[in-house]
This record gives sequence, structure tokens and C-alpha cells, in this order.
Amino acid sequence: MTKRDTRSFWIGFAVIVALLAAAPLVLPPFWRHFVTEILIWGLLAMSSDLLIGYTGLISFGHSAFFGLGVYGAAAALLLVAPPNLFLAIALGLAAAALVAGFVAFFSTRLRDIYFAITTLIFSQIFYVIIFTWTSVTGGENGLTFTRPGLGVPGLYVVRFTPTTMHWFVLAVVALSYLVLRRITRSPFGMVLQAIRENEGRTRAIGYHVEHYKIVAVMLSGVFAGLAGVLYALQNEFAAADFVFFLVSGETVIYNVMGGIGTLVGPIVGAAFFLLLREALSRFFTEYYLIPLGVIFIAMVIFMPQGLLGFARRWLNR
Amino acid sequence: MTKTWNDDNEDFWYSGKVTRRRLVGWGGGILGATMLVPAPWRAAFGAEKPFKVGSLQPLTGPAAPGGKTSIVGLQMAVDRINKTGGIHGRPVQLIIEDDESKPDVGRRKAQKLVEEDEVDVSCGGFLSNVCLACMPVWAQNKIVNMISVCLDTTITGSACNKYTFRPFDAAPAQAVAFGPELVKLGKKWHIVYADYSWGQSTRDAYAEGIKKHGGEVVGATGIPIGTADMTPFLSKITGNFDGLFGIFFGKDGVTLGNQAYDLGLTKKYKFAGDGAIAVPSNLPALGNKIEGFYGIDRYIPVFQGPLDNPYNRRFFAEAAKRLKTVAPQAPVPDRYVQSNYEAMNCLKLGMEKSGFTGRKDSNKLIAALEGLHMKLSDDFPQGDKFLRKEDHQAFLTEFIYQIKGGKYHLIEAVPADKTVYPSMCTMPA
Repeated sequence: MTKRDTRSFWIGFAVIVALLAAAPLVLPPFWRHFVTEILIWGLLAMSSDLLIGYTGLISFGHSAFFGLGVYGAAAALLLVAPPNLFLAIALGLAAAALVAGFVAFFSTRLRDIYFAITTLIFSQIFYVIIFTWTSVTGGENGLTFTRPGLGVPGLYVVRFTPTTMHWFVLAVVALSYLVLRRITRSPFGMVLQAIRENEGRTRAIGYHVEHYKIVAVMLSGVFAGLAGVLYALQNEFAAADFVFFLVSGETVIYNVMGGIGTLVGPIVGAAFFLLLREALSRFFTEYYLIPLGVIFIAMVIFMPQGLLGFARRWLNR
Repeated sequence: MTKTWNDDNEDFWYSGKVTRRRLVGWGGGILGATMLVPAPWRAAFGAEKPFKVGSLQPLTGPAAPGGKTSIVGLQMAVDRINKTGGIHGRPVQLIIEDDESKPDVGRRKAQKLVEEDEVDVSCGGFLSNVCLACMPVWAQNKIVNMISVCLDTTITGSACNKYTFRPFDAAPAQAVAFGPELVKLGKKWHIVYADYSWGQSTRDAYAEGIKKHGGEVVGATGIPIGTADMTPFLSKITGNFDGLFGIFFGKDGVTLGNQAYDLGLTKKYKFAGDGAIAVPSNLPALGNKIEGFYGIDRYIPVFQGPLDNPYNRRFFAEAAKRLKTVAPQAPVPDRYVQSNYEAMNCLKLGMEKSGFTGRKDSNKLIAALEGLHMKLSDDFPQGDKFLRKEDHQAFLTEFIYQIKGGKYHLIEAVPADKTVYPSMCTMPA
């Protein structure tokens, strides 16, 4: 990356963050809330891009990581009084990391469709546990709790408003993006991309592929768990549905729509998908899934590199 | 001259005589109004601002069939309110949002109803997890939330709040009502239930109801919801007991009925269960395998006992007419149509009593709804009922029935006051 490229990147990054930061000041309440949610789902999509786009592993286990992040935060907020923001984040991340480590240990021995199916099965196992263990998880009903304040309990705590919540989420997502970008550009990230391109050759030149894949799944799981924590903080409830594989499916769709292997693409994909779904459901009510499906198929056929890839090609013409 | 069913149906909206003079008067009025203000509700109500009623319903996802029949009941009530002069002369505008059978989407749509549509009250909710996820949204925005289908006990129990009301029954009330009849049928019971929160809480309620009347629950088998083949679970149910009690809904109810019959369980033991197993839409798929089933429900589509009243006949006829397009396989009103219809009418009654003008009057509306008594009428064709102040839970007549010849036969109507259970709610301050 040349000096000019670096400067362009930081200018672009600052402009986008500034625009997103200004969004709650100009948008009506519903859309303000909606943009915050897009950022959270975008972070989830970005976390899975580390596997799909950079390591070549299609994961259907992200619902488990996201859901455990939600439930970890919920447990901290319900069990500790007064509710502590940092404890919620720590417990959410720990729960997601633990599950990601467990899933990674078994699934990274496999490749391609076998990896995808294994992660899917693991997420369904966690779903069934959460769905039926009503006394602990609330089962189908889930758990409701109160959002903690921003600060350190006992010292300084300020209540979140919708605007400060949005800024908090934006700060976490922006920071996560920078960390993930750094990871993908590090020697470790290069090895992941080598695994994606040719796993056999990567192993042949001496890399312990399984170890790299385990770390990649765990890192991806931790960021998915972080998205779960943010969702719990914003919406103050945890539901078994978050662990259901459909959430993983939607995450893959965000990646495909936005452009895999780009980090920003999945966020764009999440925004596009969620806005499109909201708009179509207002016009077609219960039939909105039909045009949504048609648009998705058309995008896969005509824009296989996703919105970001398409935009890049169009700009380079 | 005795009244026929059709006579009752014709009386439903208007009971006066249609004379030529009235017809000309109405025609002129309607024509003038139409020319002045094009929106349909304005034609009827001039410039009066409508009351906006937000309703979350599952129009897509696994609960969509139930959501669509629910809307029939809700729309019927709203149409009737608007045709009879609205509430304080103001029309009712129903704004329905699809929650996609998902709690996160439900919550987002609830935010939309509150912030974008600026609804005055909420009336809806089908799946309990969606209702529970959305309850804080209504409470935070101080909007009265009239639940229309969600069954989970916690809604008016541990998760209760000032703004949420449930104008129909809960599992503990059904268990209190059904307990004596179950123990008459047999002393020892085995419960087979949908293994998730609703099934588990309902199981506990029935186990207590059976024990309270001298019966015994000798075993319980939980089956995950959506299990297409229940045989591995059901085949393990053996032993010395008198009756098998099922707690399932939707297609799981059909699976249980069919597979319990195929394994001979319904012949060997008395077969009873939650009314959700044998709702009208399930009967065609159950065929004769559900013969002899004992159930309990707040509403069954019959004209027997207390349900043999002109109000129910009118409600039935209108609902059946509307259901032909939504549920052609079983176009008869079920408990979902009934509870949505009555939930909206319960809101109307409270709004009328309290002089409700908008969201700012939510406290007045809550005061009017707490302890509200509803009488058998066109608004409440199911029968008398009351909303308990302590937990905002309604108590109403429960109908114990048996399926004979593929039809419902009412065995007993348990009055509302015989279904009361202790409140489990501590209202948050």
C-alpha cells in the first residue's frame, strides 16, 4: 500500500465514520435504531468474512457464537447487581470464545462442505440446549434484562441514550474493523489466505494448517460474540432464535451480497439486505420474501463479487 | 316467530329498518362525504383523527397460518367498531406489522409502530417469545399492550408489567378447570409435552391441577417441537396408568394424535390434552384418530351450552364467511379468531370507559382495564369474563369437550370464577 493509498484509506474511513456518527442526529428515531442494528449485524457479517473470505471456510456456526455472546452478556447483566457493562462484554466474549474453541477443535479437521455441515450441526446442538434448558436460558421465551450504564459502577456511570448507544456501537464496530483489517494484513492473515488458495501447499511448506484454522475460527467467533453482546446491550433481550442456523444463513447472505474477502463488503451487504427487506415488507407485506429472493438470485448471477466488487469494477472502467 | 341463524346474522351490524327516506338520506350523506374526503375512514367519520392500533402478527415464518386467522378476528372487531360509530366518534385504524415469527424482527417492528406510526395502543402478538421480547418496548413508551394470542404463563406472571394485559385464559386457569374432570376420567396420568418453555410450564400447571384433585402424574415425556417422528418417544410410554395427557400445538398436535393412535396408546389409555391439539384446523389431518379425545379450550366452534347464544351465532357466521379465503380447509372460527376479536373489543370498552384520547391517557386506560368485567354480548360472544387487577390476567368460561364423530361435544362449561389461580405477578414499580 503506497503512502497515498494509506492517506486515502484514512480519509475515507474518517468520512464514513463521521457520516455514521451524524446519522442519529438527523434520522428519525426508528431509522436511528435501524442504523445501529445494521452496524451490529454488519460486525457479525464481518466476523464471518474472516473465515469465508480470508480462510475459505464457509461457517454456519456463527449463530452459535453470536447467540452465546448474547446469552453471556445476559447472564452477566442478570446475575450481577448493579449491571456492569464491562463484565457483560467480558462474559459475552468469554462464552463466544469458549464455544468457538470447542467448535474449532472438531470442525477444523474437516474441509469444504464437511466443515460447513459440522459448524451447522454444532450451532443446532447449542440451539437445542438453549431452547430446552428453560430454567437457565428461559427457553423459547428467552431472557429480558436491563441495559447497564456506560462507565465503571461505583465511580462514574451515565445512562445510555439511543444516540450514545449508537456511538458506542459505532466505536466498537469501527475498532473491530481496524483490528480485523490489521489481522488480515498480518503474516497470520497471509497464511490464512494461503490456506484459502491452496491448503495442501500451505501445509507442504511447513505451516500447521489446523492451528491456524483453529485460531481463525476462534477470532471470528470472538468478533461474532462481540456483535451478540452489542445486540444484547441495544435490545435488552436474549432469544434462542439467535442461535438458530437461520442467523448463520443470513450472515452468509450478507457476505455474498456485499462481497466476500473485503471486510467492508459484508457490512454493506448487511445494510443492503436489511434495508431491502424492510422496504419490500412495507410494499409486499407477507409476500416480500419472493422479490427479496429474486433480487438475491439476480445478484449472485450478475454480481458474483457482491456490491463492493461490482462498485470497484464500475469505478475502474 | 322464532329467529333463524340468518336473521341473527343480518342483525349483526344494524338492527333498524331500511326505509326509502333513510336510504336517500344515507346515499346523499355518503356521496357528499366521499366527494369531500376520499380516505375510506374519513368518509364515515369526517375529519376525526383515527385511533391508531398497532398489531404485530406473524404473516411469514412457521406461525404464519395462525397469524393470518388471527387477523380475521382483529379486522372483524375493527370493522364492526368503525361501522357502529367508532370509539368516541373516532374511527379505528389498524396497522399490522409482520413479525416474521422472530423475536428480533418483532421488536424492530414494535419500534416502528411506536416511533414511525405513532400508534395509540397495541393489540396483537401470536408467539410468546415475540410478545415477551416486545413487552419492554410498549412499557418504555407507555403504550397499553393488549395481548391477543400469546399463551406463556410468564406474560402475566414473572414478566408482568403495568402496560400489558391478557384478555383470555392462561394454562394454570385451564388446569384448575380441567383438573376435576381429568381425575374423574382416571387417577393416574402420564403427560407428554412439547419440550420447551410453553410445554414445560403447561405441564407443571396440569401436574399441579391433577394432584390437587387427588390424582397422580406417574411420568412425563418431553418431545422436541417439530419432531416429525415421535414414535421413539411415544413407544417408551408404557406402564400402569389411566390416561395420556398431551400438550402440543400446530402440526405437532397432529403428529401426536396420529402416532399415539398408531401405537395403540389412545386405545389403551384415556386420551386428553390441551385444546391446541384439536383446534378446528387440525381436525381434518387427524381424521378419526382423534376420536374420543378430551380437551379443554376457551372457545370451540359449537352452539352448545353457553355457546348456544345469538351473539356467538353472529360471530361464527361472520368469521366463517371471512375465513373462507384465509383458511379454506377449515373455515370455522377457532380460539385465535375469538381471542383477537375479543381483545380488540376489550380495548374498545376500556377506551370508552376511560375517555381515552391518545397515548397520554394510557394511565387512565390502565385504570379502566384493571378489574374490567365484560359481559356476554356482540363484543364478547364467548361469554362473561373479567380482567384481574393484580396481574392483568383475564378469567373466562372454559369448555371441556370430547371429539365424537369428528365433532366437538361439550361436556362441561366451567365458569370463570372456577378457573381462578393465585396471581404470580409482582408489578414492577
